[in-house]
Amino acid sequence: MATLIFQGLLPFLFILGVSPLLVGLINKQKALLTGRLGAPIWQPYYDLFRLSRKETIYASTASFISRLAPVVSFSVILIAGFMLPIGYVRPLLSFSGDIIVFAYLLGLARFFQILGAMDIGSSFEGMGAAREAAFAVFAEPIYFFTIGSLAFVSGYTSLYEVYLSIHLDNPSSLVFIIVSSISAFFLMVTECSRMPIDDPTTHLELTMIHEVMILDNSGIDLFLYQYSSYIKIMIYGIFEVLFFNPFSLHNQWLGFSLFAILLLLLSTVVAWVETMIARLKIKSIPQYLLFATAIGILNLLIYTFVR
Amino acid sequence: MTSLSVQNQQPFPIDDIPILSVKEFENSVREELLAQARMIGLFGLETTESATTVVAVLGHSSTSAIHLLGTTFTPANNRYRSFADVDPQTHYFECELAENHQIIPEGHPWLRPVRKQTIILANQPYSMYKMEGEEIHEVAVGPIHAGVIEPGHFRFQCHGELVYHLEIILGYQHRGIEKLLLNASPSQQSIICESITGDTVIGHSMAYALAVEALSNTSVSLRTQVFRSLAEELERIAMHLAGLGGIANDVGYAIGSASYGRLRTLAINSTALLCGSRFGRGFIVPGGLQFDPTDEAIEALKVNLHVVQHDVLVINEVMFGSTSVLGRLDHTGTVEKEWAQSIGMVGPAARASGLDVDTRSQFPYGAYKYIHLPLITLSSCDVFARARMRSLEIDESLRFIFDQLENLPSGSVQSEMNAIRANSGVVSLIEGWRGEIAHCAFTDSKGIWKRYRIKDPSFHNWYGLSLALRSEAISDFPLCNKSFDLSYSGHDL
Repeated sequence: MATLIFQGLLPFLFILGVSPLLVGLINKQKALLTGRLGAPIWQPYYDLFRLSRKETIYASTASFISRLAPVVSFSVILIAGFMLPIGYVRPLLSFSGDIIVFAYLLGLARFFQILGAMDIGSSFEGMGAAREAAFAVFAEPIYFFTIGSLAFVSGYTSLYEVYLSIHLDNPSSLVFIIVSSISAFFLMVTECSRMPIDDPTTHLELTMIHEVMILDNSGIDLFLYQYSSYIKIMIYGIFEVLFFNPFSLHNQWLGFSLFAILLLLLSTVVAWVETMIARLKIKSIPQYLLFATAIGILNLLIYTFVR
Repeated sequence: MTSLSVQNQQPFPIDDIPILSVKEFENSVREELLAQARMIGLFGLETTESATTVVAVLGHSSTSAIHLLGTTFTPANNRYRSFADVDPQTHYFECELAENHQIIPEGHPWLRPVRKQTIILANQPYSMYKMEGEEIHEVAVGPIHAGVIEPGHFRFQCHGELVYHLEIILGYQHRGIEKLLLNASPSQQSIICESITGDTVIGHSMAYALAVEALSNTSVSLRTQVFRSLAEELERIAMHLAGLGGIANDVGYAIGSASYGRLRTLAINSTALLCGSRFGRGFIVPGGLQFDPTDEAIEALKVNLHVVQHDVLVINEVMFGSTSVLGRLDHTGTVEKEWAQSIGMVGPAARASGLDVDTRSQFPYGAYKYIHLPLITLSSCDVFARARMRSLEIDESLRFIFDQLENLPSGSVQSEMNAIRANSGVVSLIEGWRGEIAHCAFTDSKGIWKRYRIKDPSFHNWYGLSLALRSEAISDFPLCNKSFDLSYSGHDL
């Protein structure tokens, strides 16, 4: 019984509680890498707290979509988060075929964000929405050629079972997993609007993708958008590190520590990429994403033949 | 040719400027422009109820000569044939003349406001250029921006991400500097000139000081001249570092932005060692310098600059060796050489488009008369060239400074000022870090300013930014903008 309660509470606590910390860690390491002291790692929490107390203002042209979008996108992303195992713990939601539901829950969140951005009628936000929609088209195949090929190889269609089936003990599957994780990293930076796809720190509206869509949101709506973007980074972080964490699903404490270490490592990789690599030209982003898809496809083909 | 020919900072009696009939004026200016002259100024010298005297200032870089000629317009006869068909570089000067004096250039391709957005220009209300068609959309940015920067309005005509046309509307910062100068006391004038553009304090205060010294026949010591050019090169280094940091920031290259930012602080702190102000305020005044740097300050300056020299080398290698950065800079925001030439671009932006324009070598002044600085040009004309140009200029400026610090001339840094000549004028050209700064000063019969005319390099180069954006992605606008690094207040005055 106690285990069941723990299993039920952990995803809530972890996804809601630790997500801002992951972003804080990325920002801190980025600052350290550029020789600055940087904001404290708790800064995202302070930001959320600050936003939660602010007044929410709506544009005079806003319809009910603007009010609905942040709530829908936040809750939908949270639900998607509950489909991933946290360390060794069986996820809250797990059923066969959930890899498709997972993808389209995140898709639904994006859909509402785009609607929310276009609702106000600002030319900036429309521009951001167009970019977001265009790049989503290229990002989706990456997902299906990473987790999809794992599902194809293992024969399972639930995220939990797919991850459970990963074995790093023979070289061909190790290579297969490593290459899949590279594609998954591309997917992560795209979906989470990080470098080199989008610059989360820029103040230049014309170059933004994600940030420009929430320019007109304030108060609790901005709180929800920010929070869901933190959660999204956590989700994709988990999505990525579980590739390398087969123990986590069998041995509790060793698995959980390894899981935490891998997340920390991932935050370092993200920080390093954001420091050392310039952002892509917007028009070459599709190329970059197609490249990730292409490695996914090749990976699957090679693995099926070698095996 | 009917014109008065003078050198940079050579005073002349105003009466020596030939005042021609409008017809002759048109023809002479055309001839000059055809002989590869660059327009430095076209402005009203004197305005009465019944007539406006207009003077054209043209620079010939091959001979280092500056030609002046004038004409008189009356309210009844206020039209002339536009020169823009011979040489498009004059078009903005003509707009300015039309805006200030209602003198109308006939056949002007695109008469638009320069500083007054509210404008009724030549009795016609102005409406911005607009494209129409399916899927063409307009994006308006500013005048209030997301960053803490100056106000300017940018209107893009786009098709998706592609920009067909960018129109830039400025003038939100118009402070009436030229008028302020006329009524200010001499000590106030230096301060006003330092405030023309907050990032070119040394450049503008030097142009002002040289103009006053020329008109008053004051000669300054060699030590003064050397320190002035040291300060100018320090300003160039600091601003180029800031600009490179900005470019790195705009492409999201955090390591570059952080490193250049740190070095820029060192560079402006070095200026502070000379005069106590990091931006060089109060250093250069007519008659010399307000501060004579001590030997300790010079030593500290050397230490600072050695750090800058070493670290700049490292970070330049990292940044210009990074494929991801080069991928952003290459072939972005190209301004072809012919375009740059025809719109009269100046400064590093023009040299990055392959034009040989550098006031320091073409119209030498101060210490640059004795010490030669190499004129660098690049040929790729894009953001990469403009960024690389700035990094190369940092190297050259550092070399120049170290050379000068080796054997500093001694002597006083203050000279006695003589009275300013009456009824005279002077053209004072300076190569600020952004390009050619021109101050044209004219005195009345009592030796008091009658007209003080300022041209910041931004005046030419803003149009270059518009051209750079043609057929470019709108998301690259901030990067192109930063690569030009233009001043709003310098343009608006």
